[in-house]
Amino acid sequence: MKLIKKGAEADIYLTKWNNFPAILKIRKTKRYRNLILDSKIRKHRTTKEAQTISEVKSFGIPTPIVYCVNLKKSSIIMQEIPGKTVHDLSDTKIIQLSKEIGKLVGIMHKNGIMHGDLTTSNFILYKNKVYVIDFGLSQKTIKSEDHAVDLRLIKEILNSAHAKIMVSAWKNFLSGYKSVVGPTNYAKIIHLVYEIESRGRYATVV
Amino acid sequence: MIGLGVESTAHTFSCAILEKKGKRGKILSDVRKIYRPPEGEGIHPREASRHHVENSAIVLSECLQEAGVTIKDLDIISYAAGPGLGPCLRVGAVVARSLASYYNIPIYPVNHAIGHIELGKLLTGAKNPLVLLVSGGHTMLLAFLNKQWRVFGETLDITLGQLLDQFGRSIGFASPCGKNIESLASSTSNYVLLPYSVKGNDVSFSGLLSATKSIVPKSKADACFSLQETAFAMISEVVERALSFTGKKELLIVGGVAANKRLSEMLQDVCKRHTCKFFIAPQKYAGDCGSQICWTGLLESQVKKGVSLENTFVTQSWRLDSVKVDY
Repeated sequence: MKLIKKGAEADIYLTKWNNFPAILKIRKTKRYRNLILDSKIRKHRTTKEAQTISEVKSFGIPTPIVYCVNLKKSSIIMQEIPGKTVHDLSDTKIIQLSKEIGKLVGIMHKNGIMHGDLTTSNFILYKNKVYVIDFGLSQKTIKSEDHAVDLRLIKEILNSAHAKIMVSAWKNFLSGYKSVVGPTNYAKIIHLVYEIESRGRYATVV
Repeated sequence: MIGLGVESTAHTFSCAILEKKGKRGKILSDVRKIYRPPEGEGIHPREASRHHVENSAIVLSECLQEAGVTIKDLDIISYAAGPGLGPCLRVGAVVARSLASYYNIPIYPVNHAIGHIELGKLLTGAKNPLVLLVSGGHTMLLAFLNKQWRVFGETLDITLGQLLDQFGRSIGFASPCGKNIESLASSTSNYVLLPYSVKGNDVSFSGLLSATKSIVPKSKADACFSLQETAFAMISEVVERALSFTGKKELLIVGGVAANKRLSEMLQDVCKRHTCKFFIAPQKYAGDCGSQICWTGLLESQVKKGVSLENTFVTQSWRLDSVKVDY
C-alpha cells in the first residue's frame, strides 16, 4: 500500500480491490483532538461520505464507486480516478472547466445536496469528465442559505488560490450553475452569498 | 531608518520605536497602556478612547526616552488606520498627525492586521508561511500570493477572541478572558459534546457560544474545557485543510489568542503531521502593540512616500485582503 496523499482529515493510500487499483481513505485519530469529539467526527464523516458519494450518482454526478466501508477504522475503499485535480490544471483549463463545475454543483443543489467542501482539489478531470470527490462535509439540505455557503467557499478558493483567473472562472462557474438551477433560484442564492460575505469581519458595509 | 508607530485600534494604546537596517529590524522601545473594562463587561469605545487620550502623552514620552531618541531623529511616523473602533482609531491618528505636521515627518497609515503578520514574520523569521491570525478582531487563515494576502479561510460570524471573551464575561470574568478560561479548563477533562461547525475552510462560532452558555449551570469548568477543546479543534482542522490545500511548509500564528497554550499545543501537533515548521509570535508581541504598526510603516516606506495630511484617514472596516503589498 502506497501513501499518495496526507490530506487534511484523511490519509489516502493506493491499494487493490479484487485486483483492481483502488483508493483507501482512512480518517485516522488526531492526537490533538479530544477523544470523544474525534471519534464522533470520524464516524459521522465516513458515513456521510459513503452515503452521499453513492446517492449523487443517481442524478448523474460522476463520483468514485464505493467498494467497502469500515466504520470501526473510519475507512472507505473506493474506485481510483487516475486523473488530475482541477487545482493542478493550467489556468486556461480551469477557466474552461469552471462552467462544468458550476453545472455539477447546480445539479447537487437542485437535488438537495450540499457538498460542504467545494475546493478545486475536490474535482478530478479524467478522460474529459469531471469527477467530484470528498463528501465528508456534505449535508442533505434544501435551504438556500446552505447552498450559498457552498458557493461562497468556492468563490473564496478562486479568489485566493486562483486569484489571477478569478474573474473569468467565477463568471463561467455562475453561468453553468444558473443554467441548472434556473434564474429565480440563482438570483435568490447569489443574494444570500453577498449577505454572508457582508456578515464577514470588516466587510465593506454599504 | 528610525520609525515611530502608534497603535490604538481597541483596548491598547501603544507607541513603539524601531530601527530598520536593510531587511533587519530592531525594536528600540515598545510602551503600552491597556484599557481594562470592569469585570463582566466588554470594551466601551468612548471609555477606551478617553483612556487613550489620557495616556497618549505619557506613552509617547516614555517610548522616546526608552529608545534614547528624540522626535527629530524620527524618519517616519506610522499609525494604525484600521480596522478597529472609530473613537479609538482617531486618538492614534491625531497623535500621529500632530507630530507629523509640526515636525514635518512623513506619515503612513497602516493596516493593523497586516501589522500583526509583518511583525510576526520579522520576529520569527518565517519566510513563506500560512498565517493564522487569531485575535479579538480577526480569525483568518492567510497566504501571500501575487502582491496580496489572500484569505484561505475565516470565521463566518464572531472571532475566536470574541467567542472566548463573550463566554468569559457571561460567567463573570474580565476581558480579555482567555487566560482565566484556560486555567479553569485545565482543572477538568470532562468533555461535553458541543456543536462543531466547520464549513469547508471556514468556521462559525455563534452556535458554539450559545450552546456553551447553556451547559454552564452544570459545571463552569467543564464548559470552559469543552469550549476550548471544540473551538480549537475547529481551528486546527481548518489550518490542516489550508496547509494541505496550499502545500505551505510553514505555519505562523499571530494575534492575541496566540498566547493560549492549549491552542498552540494542538497546532504544533498539526504541524508535525504535515512536516511543517511551526512559528509563533513571542507572547509579548503577539497581541496589539506599536511595533507591528511601526515595522509595517517602515516596510512601506521602502516603496512609497508618506501620504499628505488630507489623506491620513481612519476606517473601522478595512479588510487586509484589500491591501496591495509592494515591498
